[in-house]
Amino acid sequence: MKRLVSAMFFVALAAGQTAPTIPTYKTLKYPPLSQVKIPEPAEFTLSNGMRVLLLEDHELPLVRGMAMIRTGNVFDPPDKRGLSQVMADVMRAGGTKSKTGDQIDEELENIAGSVESGMDETSASVSFSGLKETADQVLAVFKDVLTNPEFRQDKLDLSLTQYRSAIARRNDDAGDIPGRELARILYGPETPYGWQPEYEDLARIHREDLIAFYQRFYFPKNIMLALYGDFITADMHDKLERLFADWKVEKPPAPPIPAVTAKPAPGIYFAPKDDVTQTFFSIGHLGGTLRDPDYPALQVAANILGEGFSSRLISQIRTKLGYAYSVGASWAAGYDHPGMFRIGGSTKSMTTVETVEAIRTELDKLRTTEVTEKELNEAKQAVLNSFVFFFDSPAKTLNRVMRYEYYGYPKDFLFQYQKAIASVTRADVLRVAKENIHPDELSVVMVGNPKELGKPLTALGKVSELDLTIPEPKQELAKADPASLARGKQMLQRAQQAMGGADKLAAVKDMTHTLELALEPAAGGFKVQQVSMYLAPNQVRQEQTLPFGKVIVYSDGKSGWLSTPQGVQAMPAEVLKQTQGVIFRQHSALMLSDRDPARTVNAVAENAVEVSDANGMSVRIEFDPATGLPTREIYTEPGQSGAPAQTTDIFSDWREIAGIKLPFKAIQLENGMKMLEMSVSEYKINTGLVAAELSKRP
Amino acid sequence: MRVRSFLLLLLPGLLFGQNLQEFEKKVTSFTLANGLTFLIIERHDAPVVSFHTYVNAGAVNDPTGHTGLAHMFEHMAFKGTPTIGSKNWPAEKEALDAIERVYDRLDAERNKTFRADPKKIAALENELKAAIEKADSYVESNEYDRIVESNGGVGLNAGTAEDQTTYFYSFPSNRTELWFLLESERFLRPVFREFYKERDVVREERRMRIESSPQGQLIEALSSTAFAAHPYKNTAAGWASDIEHLRATDAEAFYKRYYGPSNLTIGIAGDVNPAQAKRLAEKYFGRIPARPLPPVVTTVEPPQSGEKRVAVASPAQPFLVVAYKRPDQYSKDNAALDVLEQILSGGRTSIIYREMVRDKKIALGAASYATYPGGKYPSLFLFFVVPNTGHTVEENEESVYEIIDRVKKDKPDPVALQRVKTNLRAALIQKLDSNSGLAAELAAYQAGYGDWRKLFTELDEYNQVTAEDVQRVAQKYLLENTRTVAYTYVPKGDVK
Repeated sequence: MKRLVSAMFFVALAAGQTAPTIPTYKTLKYPPLSQVKIPEPAEFTLSNGMRVLLLEDHELPLVRGMAMIRTGNVFDPPDKRGLSQVMADVMRAGGTKSKTGDQIDEELENIAGSVESGMDETSASVSFSGLKETADQVLAVFKDVLTNPEFRQDKLDLSLTQYRSAIARRNDDAGDIPGRELARILYGPETPYGWQPEYEDLARIHREDLIAFYQRFYFPKNIMLALYGDFITADMHDKLERLFADWKVEKPPAPPIPAVTAKPAPGIYFAPKDDVTQTFFSIGHLGGTLRDPDYPALQVAANILGEGFSSRLISQIRTKLGYAYSVGASWAAGYDHPGMFRIGGSTKSMTTVETVEAIRTELDKLRTTEVTEKELNEAKQAVLNSFVFFFDSPAKTLNRVMRYEYYGYPKDFLFQYQKAIASVTRADVLRVAKENIHPDELSVVMVGNPKELGKPLTALGKVSELDLTIPEPKQELAKADPASLARGKQMLQRAQQAMGGADKLAAVKDMTHTLELALEPAAGGFKVQQVSMYLAPNQVRQEQTLPFGKVIVYSDGKSGWLSTPQGVQAMPAEVLKQTQGVIFRQHSALMLSDRDPARTVNAVAENAVEVSDANGMSVRIEFDPATGLPTREIYTEPGQSGAPAQTTDIFSDWREIAGIKLPFKAIQLENGMKMLEMSVSEYKINTGLVAAELSKRP
Repeated sequence: MRVRSFLLLLLPGLLFGQNLQEFEKKVTSFTLANGLTFLIIERHDAPVVSFHTYVNAGAVNDPTGHTGLAHMFEHMAFKGTPTIGSKNWPAEKEALDAIERVYDRLDAERNKTFRADPKKIAALENELKAAIEKADSYVESNEYDRIVESNGGVGLNAGTAEDQTTYFYSFPSNRTELWFLLESERFLRPVFREFYKERDVVREERRMRIESSPQGQLIEALSSTAFAAHPYKNTAAGWASDIEHLRATDAEAFYKRYYGPSNLTIGIAGDVNPAQAKRLAEKYFGRIPARPLPPVVTTVEPPQSGEKRVAVASPAQPFLVVAYKRPDQYSKDNAALDVLEQILSGGRTSIIYREMVRDKKIALGAASYATYPGGKYPSLFLFFVVPNTGHTVEENEESVYEIIDRVKKDKPDPVALQRVKTNLRAALIQKLDSNSGLAAELAAYQAGYGDWRKLFTELDEYNQVTAEDVQRVAQKYLLENTRTVAYTYVPKGDVK
């Protein structure tokens, strides 16, 4: 078929050459397009229940593939938004039972292979790519990551640090803001489709949460695996069967995705940003799914309105008015939940109102007047003539087959769509525009420079200011019940044993320790010599030698003073907070929290408790499952900048002093970033400290 | 373990010798009598073809006072021809000429500077507006784009960089002749219609990419600080006031000088018959008269005598760029610099990732780029750093210097060096996977180096790079006196 067509092509052109005139685009004739070869992936199910699609493609010596997992970030717990994304990152970065993430990095990059894990709204993926020669090795790593992730703590810390920075940076690029905020407004900021992770969510995400999310969703029957590249189907089938033979985890099927519950909240929203010269905007309302019978006609309508360089929006707003470089519209339908009808772009501050008005005019026109025959034909031809690009690579075909199966679409959905496009009429376009595009339901989100605006935005209607302030982390306690309280007590008592016994701890009346703090560059980059004195139950004195002089602090837990080379002053609020934390977390007292009626000890994970009191103090303590000793304490207190920060103390080098085990080394992290290292040179217990000595001013 | 991975690594190397021979069989190249070179690679898997036109002219060729002109012409190349986009060409032509005559008078008045008569200027501005409106009434807007899109063209776009301007899209293969027609027409008889509206659009593009983006502002500050004389000091976006004064006549002069057929190279990849393509090339592109090659940029950047620093006030979280002068892409050190870039920041095993992102956690991301903003003239080897919250630009800058000092002091680990070479090879294989990528690469290598085979032979150059070479180029080029540091900071005082 293909050869034949080529031959005809020749004849036509040979004829053209005898009369060497140059045709115009209107007179040019096209031969029919050669038959498209659509490859058929082989489909089967492994004995463990995992669906597999295989597609041979021998052009290049590569083997690539992707596992699609039925889950998504819509399953994030409401108090741990972002969990699934962090899980997906650490699933790869945190290594497997037998290899650290760093070892995997090295192994893969040595052979130019890759394995990556990702999370979408309503699906997740683990993908791989490798050269044919080393494909088996890459596949083995892929399987290891998919089935045996270890979620090591250091990579969780790294991931949380990265996400904190991403939150801090999320309002820096004005172009990113309107689309994100529009989605929040349309789906509702309290729903899984509209919310975004905040610092407080990240503070609540722990390793056991990652493991729980992984275990719920990553099992053979919940996964579809698609491979393409330079292999023989039968061999690969056998190989995969053997590779995954030992993975037989069974779980209940994944729950259906949550419904979209948003109610339209039309309005005009403006977020001021002084450092831009354009207004970036996103305008829209909720739309539909690909199943909607009107979806093809809506695609044609959206194409005429705002897709490509020949659309109405481009012709009017860019070409005729010169107001925008970028402007466009799309009917972005979802596979499994309503998508958005959205118009976006940017214009110089001065022409903000004019641009939005011009967009409204175009919307009205689309809803009240039939499009021209020429517009309709061109839009349909654009879809139909470019249809062949759906099939120009095996990867696209495989991806589509997998996606249709995942979302329960018929195999020939694309061809139904093609047919439907061909039959769309001018009346259809007008009808679907009227029925599905609702100007009175549009939300208009703009980010721009209020000092440069031309016409006031109120010309568009009532304007609400969008608050983009990034909320600081709040501290909240985990839920407690009698069982978790009992387990908490157990864990704490095991720690008491590990440290030398409850009685030994209870006998501590005072403690003095001498230490050195090595501060990271971000915290100053210098060393501090410190002597810390503690007198039970609630007094502390710290004497610090800093490069610029000596600092002494004293507190009885309620108030205190601070002495610096500049003189003595009452303790500032942030320092008092930090000092109260030091008293609250004093090793012996903290470990005996179960004896203190004012304190609650609650198990929050297999190896972690949360200790809290009525004054709002709290700390999460993680224990070493092997020794029972505390390894980490995590709490919120004023950080370097004075703002609340999640602080983590990681203890090591435990040695026995007077029958009590105490840590001689510790590292402190602030929001996951290392701030200082502490090394203790000496602990002294019960030397007979007295209150007057501690509170004595220099 | 290490020994074993070495053995494995040799295999892809062997593979490549075959690949070049295989590819040579599939590639056809020819040059028309007027000097226009075509490269065609056959891939018949699907009935689609990608086209890529590479023009050996870019922002470096913008005349003084007319920065942004190469970019402006790129936009005009979508405005059509006498037969594409006009309702009445003779009338439109007359109206377009009338615009320029009014504009000449307006400029003549404005050139009187303080002696200019504001009333005359206002009157001429009104006259100009009317002339533009009249010309616009003959325009079939966006006809060129409409033809491409309604015939199933995808990925239609163009890009202007410092060294080159590129135009590209893909068609179903039965539209191959249409591409020959449309592409030859726009470079044979471009019409500068809607120029002054499009100038506003180009001005908006600058607002979006540079003025409203902290990174855009930083990169512009870097270029204008690092280069004192060479046109790499201007970004392709151009300066705002230059854009606002561009004339259609400037664009036409630019076109005449730089868009001669011998300055164009075209790559075609996909379901195409080379013999047929050659006939079509002669038929359509053979019409373009030969023109002499344009003058080359003769300005040579003078040696830099000391570190330069530039701070950009921005309320955003900080960014940092550290850049060093490096020679052009024809230097014998080019391959070693590319390898150095990969050792520093290629992947998760690279020095920068491990040290700054993974271990110290001071950067959200950090990367090095061996060649910026272009390669045809001496340019920059740069480090781009996105600090983590709570970590400063200073701390990150210090960390970059520590890494540089170490790279100068210690040769790279042989395993790391081998890994880089393997990944550079694999990256090439991945590039061969798409028609549009192939068309672009073949044209760029042919135009940039005079031979598309360099795409493959470059790998041999990478293979020959030794650990000593990497250390040597680090010592030779990453020097304090050729350094430019650009960063953003949150201003404490009043700023505008």
